[in-house]
Amino acid sequence: MLSDVDVRSLRRQERLSAWARWPIYIFLFFSLRLYYGYRFEDMEAFRLSLWKKLDKHQGPIIWAANHLTLIDSFLIFWALVPPSKLSRTKIIPWSTPEYRNYYHLGGPIYKRFIRFLMYACRCIPFLRGGDDEVSIQWRENVYQKCRWILLNGGSVFIFPVAGRSKNGWFDPHRPKDLLGRLAQEVPGVKFLCVYLRGEGQIFRTVYPRRRERFRMVGDLIDGLLPGETNPRMTSQRLFNRLAELQNDWFAGSGLAKNCAGNDVIDLASPHARDIFPPDGDPETIEEVYSRRLTAKETAYLSEFSGEARYRIFWKFIAAKEAAMKALAQSGVMSNFKDLEADLFRRRIVHLPTACEMDIALTVDDAEKVHAICVLRGGYIGDDDHPGDVLWEVRQVPDGAAPSEFARESCLNFIAASSDDIRTPDVLAMTDDGGIPKVLRNGRVCDWGVSLSHSGRFAAYSFMVS
Amino acid sequence: MAFKRREAPTVEAVDLNTISPKDTETRIIQGVKKYATNEGNWSRADANTPFLGSIIGMGIESSNLADVTMSIERQFLTRKTNRVPVNGGSEFRLEDGELGKLRILDGQDATAATPGLSVKMLMDLGHMPKDEGYLSGVVSYAYIVAVGDGYRMNDGLKKAVEKVQRLSGAEREEAFMNLKTLIAKAREYVSLLGDIKALAENRRKTYENDRQTVDNLRQELSMIGEKLKGATASGDSGQVATLRSEETSIRSRLKMGEQRYKISEQVVRESAGRKAVEEAKVREISTILSQTITDAQRVA
Repeated sequence: MLSDVDVRSLRRQERLSAWARWPIYIFLFFSLRLYYGYRFEDMEAFRLSLWKKLDKHQGPIIWAANHLTLIDSFLIFWALVPPSKLSRTKIIPWSTPEYRNYYHLGGPIYKRFIRFLMYACRCIPFLRGGDDEVSIQWRENVYQKCRWILLNGGSVFIFPVAGRSKNGWFDPHRPKDLLGRLAQEVPGVKFLCVYLRGEGQIFRTVYPRRRERFRMVGDLIDGLLPGETNPRMTSQRLFNRLAELQNDWFAGSGLAKNCAGNDVIDLASPHARDIFPPDGDPETIEEVYSRRLTAKETAYLSEFSGEARYRIFWKFIAAKEAAMKALAQSGVMSNFKDLEADLFRRRIVHLPTACEMDIALTVDDAEKVHAICVLRGGYIGDDDHPGDVLWEVRQVPDGAAPSEFARESCLNFIAASSDDIRTPDVLAMTDDGGIPKVLRNGRVCDWGVSLSHSGRFAAYSFMVS
Repeated sequence: MAFKRREAPTVEAVDLNTISPKDTETRIIQGVKKYATNEGNWSRADANTPFLGSIIGMGIESSNLADVTMSIERQFLTRKTNRVPVNGGSEFRLEDGELGKLRILDGQDATAATPGLSVKMLMDLGHMPKDEGYLSGVVSYAYIVAVGDGYRMNDGLKKAVEKVQRLSGAEREEAFMNLKTLIAKAREYVSLLGDIKALAENRRKTYENDRQTVDNLRQELSMIGEKLKGATASGDSGQVATLRSEETSIRSRLKMGEQRYKISEQVVRESAGRKAVEEAKVREISTILSQTITDAQRVA
């Protein structure tokens, strides 16, 4: 429960922000439109479609959106709210920015200015990290404030995944319960779901690039449906709806949605043993590491020796190669040292952008290792879910050219995996700047195709999401 | 009984200032033999044969690219051996000193995609004297990529033609649609190769991505700077330490991003001009591709 002091403080902030809405709107216009040169595609149609639904709902609203930059909430607010709707002050959302990100910026004057701006923009500072009593109490207090605002017919803006997405992809497989919990406690609340992204936004950034062109899709959905008895059910439905909107967004985009890669390493190939002799002298091993591994990976490998070290080294390489291919599909070129793999957590980080991707070692036997990596487009899979990447590793027949075999086998595999592709002959392999693409009916399919070969083996993968 | 292991043959390293660029190129090609999987292309390899790819390249796998660099390091000696620390950290640059082992630093080999470009890299880094005569015969990285794309396209088009010829009925129709797309794409590519300005513009996509990465990292850095100011003013030493380590990590990411940005900038710059050798390569692939387009149109 909120104390009287908290309630009075919220009311005071609400009054001030209602008064300040016009100056802030003008400030937003000047900074976003004129200074940064941002443009929104089909903004009128977007506003019209959502306001038709919003005008019918006078109750509380939870704004929920994907999160890629630090100014997403401003962008979404501007994309959705025309000046004529500013009089409906209850719909201007309250936000919960991370306290450490905004409330200690710069020197004393700058800090005060930012704090005042945040206050006027209806911000309630939130503290994400920390398991101490103060931090937990802080979070609970913010939750109670949000609940109070909603119960009083207001709106709150909460990013369902909390921080900015680490790979630029909204993943519905890891729902968080906060919004479900709020919806369960506030009768009549609705979720305003928005997916907004710039056409040049590949990963998370501080701000979108200048002169960015944004497109957005949105929907207003029920906060609680009959039969939803726990927060997770509600959250999962919200996450699924945002994922659908994400698919709609990518359907109209020039960016490839499905970006995945795979790589196979033949552990018995003379090349592999020559590059990394399992019993090689420390100087040779160090040289091999220094070209391909980061300091953290090298430290991890130093705990192993002989054959075990040999296998783990190649697992790193397979994971990194798979990640390079996944990144290349999004237009980002990289090399071994740009990537840092964590084989235990099954994550790989592209260091220049801090983009974090999922990896999976799908084949790990005496003869070979095979890895897949997903940047975006679907789920990599786990013990319970098969995931959205289909892959196969095959032995290259004697005399066949491995790259040719991989290409042909990949088309056969795609056809065999599909109900409506009768024969692989109706598919053709082409490439776009070195990235393999499959043509069907004359159109490039966004399947995130990836090819690999090493020694006796060829591997290929594609995405079915 | 103890056996003596046979000793690996030692490569006799040569001072880069005592051999010609052509000899350097030959040694580089010989050195990568064990990584090559396309014997025919490797045995015919010259300054402009790509290490990667099997159509015109030597068929070296991408995981072996680092070994190509290491093979180059093993074969040559240089006077650039004096490590001079940069920015007071662990980074260093190499300056003239005693004759010693060649060392190619991280990222310096990023565009060494052919033996000729590897020699150019050695010249650019000051390990051997510049030889304009030799360099005039080396195709730039940008054009190696552009010409390679053309050969892959040609290969794909030929395969699509074979498929259409072999199929009948509805399947032929579907394969035919693919062929039409590939013909259009190939035609577009031939005209792109013919237009230097358009080609440079086409290569800007990666450049723009890399520029955005660098811009973003600079923004992150400035944001951390502001947070540091705030944390220092409020005397929160724990937060200051966390922010300092975050700042270090962003600085190293920025360095990597800048390296990549430099390469993509170089690609755009190189695409905007054309040497005689590049013109010849472009003409060669354009002719091949045009011929395949004509054959494909006949089938279509």
